[in-house]
Formats: sequence, C-alpha cells, structure tokens
Amino acid sequence: MTQSTNAKDKAFAIQTYQLTRSFNSLVAVDGIELKIKRGELFALLGPNGAGKTTTINMLCCLLKPTSGTGTIMGYDINKQAFKIKEIIGVSPQETSISEHLNTQENLDLIGRIHNIDARELKRRSQELLEAMGLTERAKDQVRKFSGGMKRRLSIIMALIHNPEVLFLDEPSLGLDPQARRAIWEYIVNLKGEKTILLTTHYMDEADFLADRVGIMDEGKIVALGTSRELKADMLEKHTMVIDAWNLNQKVIDKMRSKYAEVSVTEGTMLITDSQLDFREIVDLIQSSGATVSSAYIKEPTLDDVFLHITGKGLRE
Amino acid sequence: MRSLSLASRNLKENYRDPLAMGFLLGFPLVFMLLFGAIFSGDATASYPVGVIDDDNTPLSQAFIGEALAEVPTLEVTSYDDADTAKKDLKFGDLKAYIVIPPGFGEQVSRNWQGTETKVTLEMTYDESDVMVSEQLISIINAVARAYARIEIPVTINANPIHIETEITYVDFMGPGIIVFGLLILIPTSARIMVHDKEKGFLSRLLTTPARPVDFILGYSLCLVVIVIAQLAIFMVAAWGLGMDIVGSLWLAFIIFFLTGVGSIGIGMVIASLSKSENQAESLCWLISMPLAMLSGCWFSIEMMPSYLRSIAYAFPYAYTIDASRGVLIRGVGVEAIGSDLLFLVGWVVVIFFIGVMLFRRTMRS
Repeated sequence: MTQSTNAKDKAFAIQTYQLTRSFNSLVAVDGIELKIKRGELFALLGPNGAGKTTTINMLCCLLKPTSGTGTIMGYDINKQAFKIKEIIGVSPQETSISEHLNTQENLDLIGRIHNIDARELKRRSQELLEAMGLTERAKDQVRKFSGGMKRRLSIIMALIHNPEVLFLDEPSLGLDPQARRAIWEYIVNLKGEKTILLTTHYMDEADFLADRVGIMDEGKIVALGTSRELKADMLEKHTMVIDAWNLNQKVIDKMRSKYAEVSVTEGTMLITDSQLDFREIVDLIQSSGATVSSAYIKEPTLDDVFLHITGKGLRE
Repeated sequence: MRSLSLASRNLKENYRDPLAMGFLLGFPLVFMLLFGAIFSGDATASYPVGVIDDDNTPLSQAFIGEALAEVPTLEVTSYDDADTAKKDLKFGDLKAYIVIPPGFGEQVSRNWQGTETKVTLEMTYDESDVMVSEQLISIINAVARAYARIEIPVTINANPIHIETEITYVDFMGPGIIVFGLLILIPTSARIMVHDKEKGFLSRLLTTPARPVDFILGYSLCLVVIVIAQLAIFMVAAWGLGMDIVGSLWLAFIIFFLTGVGSIGIGMVIASLSKSENQAESLCWLISMPLAMLSGCWFSIEMMPSYLRSIAYAFPYAYTIDASRGVLIRGVGVEAIGSDLLFLVGWVVVIFFIGVMLFRRTMRS
C-alpha cells in the first residue's frame, strides 16, 4: 500500500498493484498487475470462474480487495471510492435494469444520481438511444424487452453520464449472433474515446474488439498482449492445409524430410513447422504430378492460445 | 436530491407491479376485513333484555307479558333481583335490564284515566355498545308510551355502568391489529431493498456516486407513502367495522405513522444485513411474529411475566398499542402520551442511524 495515489498521474487509466481477493479459502483474484492506458480497450478473457468479474467489481469499488490495490485515473480504489464512482460507468453482467421503469426513466435515474442537468441529460439520452437503435422504445417498460435490447440499454446506462472509464462485464453474454454484432459495432465506435475494460469468455469477441487482451485463469493473468502478439508468442508453429488430387508417397516423404510434422488424410495434407514456405510447398506438390485444389496457412485463434497456455478449452 | 430520484424510482417500480401492489395494499385490507368478520359477528339485531318487576301489579305484569314481549327486536327474560341481571349483563348475556319501580302500575292507570302523570322506568345497560344502547332506550320509551297512552316521554332513569366488557372487541383489538399490520411492514420494507440486491440493480446503483443515506432515504420515502396508504386503509376499515374513535384521529395517526416508520427502519437494517430475499424474509418473520405476541397485538400484555414485558417495551410496538388505545378509546390527549411519542421518535432516529451505518458497511464487502 505504498503506491502513490496522485490523481495527476493519469498516464494509465487503470492500474492494479498485486490486486488480490479471496472468498474464504478460495483465491478468486490472485495478485494481478494491470496497466491499462487511457483510451485503450482492454479485454479480460477467461472461462467462467477465472476471476474476471471479481476484478471488475474491485475496480468499481463494489468489493474490497483482500490485499493490494488499484487506481482508476489516479484515484485509489481503497481510499477514494466516491471519486472513482463519479468518473466510471459500469454495465454489469446481470443486465440490472429497473424492470417496471421505461427506457427513458432508467436513463433519467442514473443521470440524476450523477447530477447531470436536465437539458444535458435529454440531449445525451437522445444521442445514445439513436446510436443504439432504441429511440422508438424510449417510452416502453423494460420488462418487455428482449435480451439484446436490455443489453444495449445497460450499456447506454453506463454511458449516460459520459464517464471517463467504462467497464463492460460480458457485454454480449447469451445474445444471438445478430445482436452481438450490433453491440460490437457500437463498442468499436467508442474505441479511443473512452478507456474500456471488458470481460468476456468469447475468444472472437476479445479478438475483434480489444486493443490488448489479458488471458485470465484461476485468478491470475496468464498471458498479456495484443491478440496478434499472443498468437505469435504462444504458437511458434504454423500449420498449412493443402487439398490436392493424386498425392503420391514420394512427395509425402519429401515433405516429411523437410518439415517437422506432416500428416495426410484423404487428399488433405497438414504440414506444421515453425517456418513454412508457402510457394515452395505448392511448387513441390505440383511438380510431383499432384494437383493442388486449395492451400492456406491456418491462422491460430485465441482458442488455440488459451488451450496452449492452460491446457484446457475455454468453454465449460 | 438523489434520494428523491431513488424514492420516485422505487415507487414506480412498485406501483406498476400488480403483484407488489397487491401485497402492499391488498394484503392489509384483506387482513383487516377478515379480522372484522371474525370479531364483529353479531348479525341478528335481537337484544336480550332483562326485566325485574318491583311493582308487581297486574298492570306491570301486563307491560312485561304483553307490551314488551311483542317487540320483535327484544328477547325479554324476567329476573327476580337486579343483582342476577347485572351479573348477566357483565357476562354479556344481556344488553340491558329494566327495573319496573313500585308505583309503575298506579302511574299507568292514572294516565289511562286521563290524568297525565310521569311514568318512570329504570334501565341499566352496557354503555360500550353505543348503537345498541341508544336503540334500546328509544324502543323501550316507545313501548312504554304506547302502553301508558301518554304523549310525554317516559322518564327512563338511564343508568350506564362501567363493566369489564365496556369496550367492545373491535375497540380493544383494533389498535393491536393495526400495529400487527405495521409489523408486517418489516418484511415488506426489507423485501423492496433485497429484491434490488438480488436482481443486481442495487449493484449497478452502488457504482454511482449515491451515498448510503441516499439509498436508505430512497427506499424509506417510498415506503412512507405506502405506510400512509396502508394506514388510511386500516383506519377506514376499522371505522367501518365499528371501532369507536373517541379521541383525536390525527394524534392516533401520528402514533401509528411513527411506528410504521420504525418498522421501515427495522426492515432497512435487516435488508442491509441480508444477501437474499429468502434470508431477509426469514429474518423478518422471526422478528415480527414474536414482537406481535410480546407487544400485545392479540392479547393483553399485563398477564405476561415481567421479563417478557421488558423485552416488549424495548421496541416501539407495545408503546404504540398503549398510546393508541388511550387516544382512540379513552380520548386522552397529547399530554398523556407524550413520553410514548418521545420514545417512538427516539427509536426511529436510532434505528435509521443503525440502518445507514450497516448499509455503509455492507455496500462494499
């Protein structure tokens, strides 16, 4: 607890110092160190129970850290909770909207708690509702909404007071692909404007949205970097997939002598090695008398990265 | 002003929910009416009346056997002496008894002969039942006048007496039942906050700059509106069921209102401590049911052992029942219940202070 809480030191929007939280004997978050730059969109990726929500809850001052601390725009989460609450917006995992209030009333409530004046509140809610395609539902009670609409409203509620830092806990959990896309597009538009910390257990979501990804497992950050860096670091080997007719044993043996792993099943050849020369491989196969119908280098996914690091899949 | 925004949200959330509304207003009403149906059952307007004939003349006997016996709303029973009749009046077997004084026969016969003379009857009745006793007086007056053939009213030496059952069941039970209704506010209040907790809405609000006192006030102000509505229902229902209101209705309202606010405070404390609706619910009933018994909602607290009574008097409800009975039944003023009121106010202040402190502690666990 020796870290400075100088509010002027705002190079990093979010910073944690050995942030730890236990529930009885379970260590949910285990000494994580994060530095998230201003305007960055950072995704915490991990399976359910990895400690992502506990991390967010500590940063939003809903949970006390067992040890360690963190700062939001320079304010200490242990000491300056109410300062922090003025500059953050949170969209929790459970959509958490007042069900018998209509869209506008929900926005007004959050706006008034933040002491936003009525005119500004009206302007901002119109703007946000428009952007999220909810303008026509402004007067409808929330309990009639679909999951996707509630999720969009939840994000608007987190933005209504124009916060500097935005926390989105599983923003597309349980939504159909179309609704997910809509949410993603909106989040992409916020990039650079706000510092965003997002949690997800969807690889594609982190891949698509985040500037940087922190992979979390059992309370620890096990890998950290841009999606590209993570894939490159974690998967030194590349895999090339070739579909061809008339593959003969001679060319297969030749490949085996040149590359680490070669397997052939029913006209599909998989070649895996740290270095692959695409041109050379295609030429060699063609000159052996076989005909290549398609060939590509398989891109590693964050799924592969997670599997590689933790030895288990992301989905339960 | 955050608390006002929160209060207005809490009110909307509840009045737009038919189920919540039913619980908040329908339940007390049903409860009150049920209570009324149980305790004020006395549907046939037939009054048992005793007669003691001290005159013992043919005329007095005819008055009993012919005139009184013919009145359909009277069930006339003859008694040998007034003491036996009085005993039956005390036990509620009689609504009143009439003593026909010596000389009654002569008075009547003089009237029959054209000399206008005063006719006197003595009547002793249960004063608590105002409706019944007034009706009885006028019935007997009418019968006696018709019998004596006179224009002038019969002099009835009305003799109301104070007996154990002077106060009817409704009068006595009314304040206790209202207080029981106010005890039910404990689970109601806790439920409103814990519901938001369980649904995660409170978590969202806890990431805003709203302070503990804003939350507690936000919920309480909403509940205060509900208390006022509930009290209106209670008092109208109690009046409709025949509860006599002798003293100031406003003073009674203030006593009940403060008690209701105290219940809200207890609800807030329990809600702050609870993590789920189930937890809060069990805790609330565990507190409100014993309190209802101890405070004397259903029976007189005087017969309880003193250690139980001292537990009862640590909470506002026993004071409320005492004070409201004083105001409603005996018609006492603010000077007589000043200390009760002071206790109620002090209690409300302390319980809300505890509520805010607990909320502050648990808002970030």
